[in-house]
Amino acid sequence: MGKYVAQRLIAAAFAFIIIVALIFFVLFSMPGNIVSDPTIKETVRKAIEEKYHLNEPLPVQFAYFIRNYMNLDFGTSLFVRPGVAVFDVFKERIGVTIQLNLFSALFTLPVGMFFGITMALKKDSIYDIIASSLVVFFISVPGFVMAAALQYFLAYKLGWFPIVLAPEVKLNWTKFHSMILPIFALSFGSIASIARLLRAELAEALTSEYMLLAKAKGLTFRQRVVRHALRNACVPLASTFLYLFIGVLSSSLVIENIFGVPGLSKVLVSSINAKDHQLTLGITYFYVLIGLLMSIAADLSYGIVDPRIRMGGRKDE
Amino acid sequence: MNDIMLADDQTLSQEILNIEDSEFEIVEREEVIYDAKFEGEAISYMRDVWNRFKRDKVTVAATIVILLIVALAIVGPHLNEFTYLKQDTERAYMPPRIPGLEKLGIFDGTRVITIQKKNIQNYEDCLLEIVDEYEIRSRSGSVPMMDIKIDVYKQTDAEDIYYWFGSDSLGRDMFTRLWQGTRVSLILALAVMVVNLSIGLVVGAIAGYYGGWVDILIQRLLEIITSVPQLPLVILLIMWFGSGILPLILVFVLTGWVGISNSVRIQFYRYKNKEYVLASRTMGAKDRRIMYRYILPNAAGTIITNCALSLPFVIFQEAGLSYLGLGIQAPNPSIGQLLADGQKVLLDYPYLLLFPGLVIILLMLSFNLLGNGLRDAFNPELRE
Repeated sequence: MGKYVAQRLIAAAFAFIIIVALIFFVLFSMPGNIVSDPTIKETVRKAIEEKYHLNEPLPVQFAYFIRNYMNLDFGTSLFVRPGVAVFDVFKERIGVTIQLNLFSALFTLPVGMFFGITMALKKDSIYDIIASSLVVFFISVPGFVMAAALQYFLAYKLGWFPIVLAPEVKLNWTKFHSMILPIFALSFGSIASIARLLRAELAEALTSEYMLLAKAKGLTFRQRVVRHALRNACVPLASTFLYLFIGVLSSSLVIENIFGVPGLSKVLVSSINAKDHQLTLGITYFYVLIGLLMSIAADLSYGIVDPRIRMGGRKDE
Repeated sequence: MNDIMLADDQTLSQEILNIEDSEFEIVEREEVIYDAKFEGEAISYMRDVWNRFKRDKVTVAATIVILLIVALAIVGPHLNEFTYLKQDTERAYMPPRIPGLEKLGIFDGTRVITIQKKNIQNYEDCLLEIVDEYEIRSRSGSVPMMDIKIDVYKQTDAEDIYYWFGSDSLGRDMFTRLWQGTRVSLILALAVMVVNLSIGLVVGAIAGYYGGWVDILIQRLLEIITSVPQLPLVILLIMWFGSGILPLILVFVLTGWVGISNSVRIQFYRYKNKEYVLASRTMGAKDRRIMYRYILPNAAGTIITNCALSLPFVIFQEAGLSYLGLGIQAPNPSIGQLLADGQKVLLDYPYLLLFPGLVIILLMLSFNLLGNGLRDAFNPELRE
């Protein structure tokens, strides 16, 4: 186990370095930079380029970048949030994104599991047929169409929720109330995916031979389902859930846009548009870091949920 | 002549042994003998798949919906007198009016607007009914207000014009734009699928068939490609190449082929050591022939299903990019572009989002159902 974790970490570290280098070179070899604006005076531009090493060749800039990041100096934003340290921008913006995704996850998992389990237990009943159709429907409806529909009907027509996110910084009732619609919009698709996955896995587990054995041992239905079938059915759930979470973290941009959430993705887009490369690079850096750590966690979760899966074993077949 | 001894020590009677040649008669001289005919019809694998496909009503319905949408995407933009670029700023934001349905009170080209009561005479000719009357109190006293329902088509002297799905902010016909947009989105998705398929097939086949260090190398490469965060990369590429159909295809291909490559690779791993492959190799088949003639057909089901499911994904992704202003460039519509435009005026003109929303939901839904149906159809275990 320890060896496997170490292997995974080293592989991830390699991937991380390559990705960050890739992003760096793509970003800095883009035509133009922060001072390409023709209204800026020649001397000012020279000074700025000098200060941020923008006049040096790319490999030299890359060396500066590595050195700074080694010293945990992630630079400062120059345009989007002038003068604010990149890490501070990140800290300030990640909050609401994490909040939103965490609430969405807390809502998704129990609801998705409830529908998955009940659908599998009542397989082929009317309830299952209706719920399965709904699941296909919710997987198919794009999150932003769902967001628009929720915004129009629940917020505008019925007035149950605010149309956009409340500007409060602290998490209080007003803020949470305004977060409900984005949470819904983020969750429905994931709920449907989890329900579909769990239904398939549990339905298969229920008809397997070890369940017959468990019955022969005299366990009640509830004991059989909870101790034997459900535990096996949950094996793929853990990693799927983590992957969904990563996906939501990066794909919530459109939802954030619709509900006016001041999240991380918004800064990212505006920093790229403004050629505020330091900021773009810093945010992407943390994005990649979180993504890679999560995918390692997803792989390891297999081993925690299911002791039969040996770590470091053959990957194929 | 000696007696011929049989196994059980009986002697054959001389009578049987001494038959004259002339007495022999060859049976098949008169008629040709055939094997008995099979009662049933031989069912090939594809035939079997087709049978299972046909039996699933939902899949057939999904296919019909897809065909219908494709047909509309082809002929839709030419069904009325508008073109998707023709502007008419006098008639911006016309509500939908559909001949036939207008008599039922839906899509009848009317709109409820809020006006000050003193301005009512401006709307005399197009006024249909007064919905509500109330007063708004402000610092300068109370202002009598009215909610009135008006016929927008009368108001703009357009009584003989029908905007079936309404018109947008520049007075362009939404019906034409919607199907033009569907066409653009479908073309994009198809192009992406074809490129992904070609790359994924080749790479997956090589990785799965040869295995060893080639496989390890390719797998590490895929790992890196898939863990690059999509969003910043997509934005960078689009800023670099500009947003048009070609850069978008590039963006989707960059990571899109990984899925197909993976499923092809797994099929190759599964089948490359089967006896029949060994047999064909012993008979001198070259690697390429084994790969594409003997192994690949086994993966056909997975690949076709994968492709069917990748189409809505591309349409969905493009729509997401359009929301950020990174999709297909205006004035060319795509479904995503229309959705993004509709989102901006959602609270005032919801129908601008309604129709593209419905089309994208229908597309996603039927492609997903078709994909699931294909997966079942290609699964021989479900044979009845």
